[in-house]
Amino acid sequence: MSNNISSAKSDSFDKEYCESLNKLYNDNIMLHEIKWFLNTAYDWAYENEGAAPEVVLLGASIPEELVIASGAAPYWLIGGSLGSCAWSDDLVPRDTDPVSRSVAGYIKRPESPDLSGSLFIIPLISDSMRKIAYDLKSEGRKVCLLDVPPDKNDSYAAKKYSSQLKAMCAEISKHTHSRVTRRSLVNAMKLVSQARTTMRRFLRISRSRPDIITDAARLFVLNSYYMTPDADEWIYHTECLIGELQHHVAATAGRTKISPSVMISGSPVLFPNYKIPFLVSDTGLSITEAVDSISMKSNVIYKRAALWGSRGRLIETIASRFYRYDSSSAFVKNDALFEYVSWLVQNEKTDGVIYHVLKGQIEYDFELERFEEMLSGFGIPVFRLETDYQYQDVEQLRIRMEAFSEMLTQNRYREVRRAS
Amino acid sequence: MTVKTKAKTLKERQDKRFINKETQTAAKYLRRLEELPGAPEGMEPFYQALRRIYVDMEPAPKKPGQKTIGTYCVMTPPELIYAAGAVPVKLCSGNYTAFSIGDNVAPRDACPLVKAVAGFKQTGLMPIYEDCSMMVIPITCDCKKKIAGMLSDQCDIMTMHIPASREDEDIEEYVSQLYDLMESLENVTGSRISYESLSEGFRKVGYAQYELSEFIRLKKQNPYLIRGSHAMAALNASAYMPADVWGKALHRVNSSLKKSISEKKTVTSKKLPRILLTGSPIVFPNVKIPLLIEEMGGIIAGDETCMGERGMWDPAVITDDSFDGMIRALANRALRPCPCPTFADNSQRIYRLKQLIKENHIQGVIYHVLRGCLVYDYEYKRIEEELGQLGIPVIRLESDYNEEDIEQLRIRIEAFIEMIKLRQAPEKAAVVRRSF
Repeated sequence: MSNNISSAKSDSFDKEYCESLNKLYNDNIMLHEIKWFLNTAYDWAYENEGAAPEVVLLGASIPEELVIASGAAPYWLIGGSLGSCAWSDDLVPRDTDPVSRSVAGYIKRPESPDLSGSLFIIPLISDSMRKIAYDLKSEGRKVCLLDVPPDKNDSYAAKKYSSQLKAMCAEISKHTHSRVTRRSLVNAMKLVSQARTTMRRFLRISRSRPDIITDAARLFVLNSYYMTPDADEWIYHTECLIGELQHHVAATAGRTKISPSVMISGSPVLFPNYKIPFLVSDTGLSITEAVDSISMKSNVIYKRAALWGSRGRLIETIASRFYRYDSSSAFVKNDALFEYVSWLVQNEKTDGVIYHVLKGQIEYDFELERFEEMLSGFGIPVFRLETDYQYQDVEQLRIRMEAFSEMLTQNRYREVRRAS
Repeated sequence: MTVKTKAKTLKERQDKRFINKETQTAAKYLRRLEELPGAPEGMEPFYQALRRIYVDMEPAPKKPGQKTIGTYCVMTPPELIYAAGAVPVKLCSGNYTAFSIGDNVAPRDACPLVKAVAGFKQTGLMPIYEDCSMMVIPITCDCKKKIAGMLSDQCDIMTMHIPASREDEDIEEYVSQLYDLMESLENVTGSRISYESLSEGFRKVGYAQYELSEFIRLKKQNPYLIRGSHAMAALNASAYMPADVWGKALHRVNSSLKKSISEKKTVTSKKLPRILLTGSPIVFPNVKIPLLIEEMGGIIAGDETCMGERGMWDPAVITDDSFDGMIRALANRALRPCPCPTFADNSQRIYRLKQLIKENHIQGVIYHVLRGCLVYDYEYKRIEEELGQLGIPVIRLESDYNEEDIEQLRIRIEAFIEMIKLRQAPEKAAVVRRSF
């Protein structure tokens, strides 16, 4: 009986994961380099024989440069799968958000790598994370908590965050038996900066050409960064993909039909649950950018001047940059996300905003009103899309999304008429 | 002009409707508490305090010129507020009418307590909220975190970062936050917190805590001298009364309970199932669960909720009588013994529950979860397992701030109490089965 249940859970995970991979492959078949990213995602989920990650990061709100500097390859669990939620059903309350469910499920999934000896770094950005941390600790796992100060206006917040990161560094070093030196920090900061610069270049090039690379594939390439054990390799292949894209852009003419462009904000859209970007494409919209806590990390780049100073100073630099740009919902007021969205709508053509709220992630829902007010000032309609990782609501979402798409198209015609 | 007048009339009508509904609900629950038999002498000041806030809609009592500081959760030390010459008022709310207004302001899945706060602030009609010169909001859960952001647009707030653990360095950080709070309070009130004024603050709260410990000692008597619902009403009233005034009122209740002992006057028979109420806070007027428990034939022999016994239970222990020593005592009191589920490792809540079960001879535990209160919901499973090993039955009651679920709750509570009664007297149950 329990074997059957376990097999059903695995089947549901496989179905979701492989279907998303296949769709991405089929929609972007002309891109040769995309295969590497698809294989990376596949390997992350299935090729775990003998793998035992040293350091596991729950969520993306942790500066990975510190983990890399301490000699470990970060192994991220950022959620995104309905299939993995099946393993956490009995562990978390009904109203837990799907991201936390999915993360907790990945840990319990039998096909996941051996995490029994891993050090779990858990940023305490939500109630669920706090309680998952407690559960993991009770199971006897090694846990390091990163208690993120929730109010950026608190006079001690930056200092507290910095001391938390220093303590985290010491904990990782103790676990990996590898000292964090000034040199290792500088190398890690350079590597991460390079990865983030590459992300931004990739976004710039891919943004305007959904005919060459689909919006979902764009998000997927960025997501795959959290599935690769080797950031260098990821940078190399992203550069190759950028080269391939440039070649296609030069070789093919631009699109004839310009579809309304929308920005996705709010809860992060994570692989393999790509129903939102797939729906956006299906309904004739194009995504300018997905602005969330994960994508915002690409703005934390260390220039030469930041790489100067002692080991302690470098950690402080990382802490202050990361804390300032952290746009997760962990804060009393998510000003980083708000300001970035505000800047973006003023500088990029955006016809509408899809505000994505995952059921249970009420922090994003609380922020919606502020976003609506700001965006209505720019005349940009906001569409609140509440969903979870289930697929039963796809048709409902499609109808709503189609209506939104039609409204944006009508707005465009109106603008054209007004201009003429 | 006509449109303006119409709009004004509409707003006036809405406000009037809100006030009517809000006061009616509060008055109804107050009446039910008053009508519940067995209230000890001296309960009137507590009822009056609740009536004043929720039925008469007046601000919390204070001296002329004194400022009111709104607080949430149990981590804000009232001693500091008294030391600054202000009066603390707890703003966590259990109001159904404000909740329904807040439902339109806060997200659907937010907890009702936070929705009620948002609702009151939205209407601008509740004097205890409007009267606050500053609100101190400890960030204990996601909802409190976000409501702090919302309230910051409407009034002066100060957030407090509650660390996830209680290590020495966490206490140190909290001490620095208390110094920050002290500065903010001084700015608001214009009075400096001195050694003497802080000592006076400690004396006020200490007196109330002393009376509370005496009250809890008397409350443990079996057969019972007071019903749990009455005790919860008295404890809820502490949110809206100055500590010394509340302490004096409780002293009178304690005297009356002592008199009841000598007169062998108890409120219930010995055999009523003894229930421990834990989980999400029970805030007046949302007292439907304690009332249902006692109306269905149980007795709340203990409560482990932050608006109940836990709220003021732990005294600040001063080991160093310098100013800094006193601040450290406040930080230690706020964090170390606190079994709030905001802490990542909250094993001490289980110890506390076991202690309460042993001391109060508890036969069943009702675990109250307010819809959307995820932190308490997370801890349910572990507590159920732990108490299961002790053979204590636990029931999880999920509720919201409305009266629609009362009949469902009644059936579940009644069944739970029946089950305890059957466990209490197995020979009686067997007789019933034989005769059947």
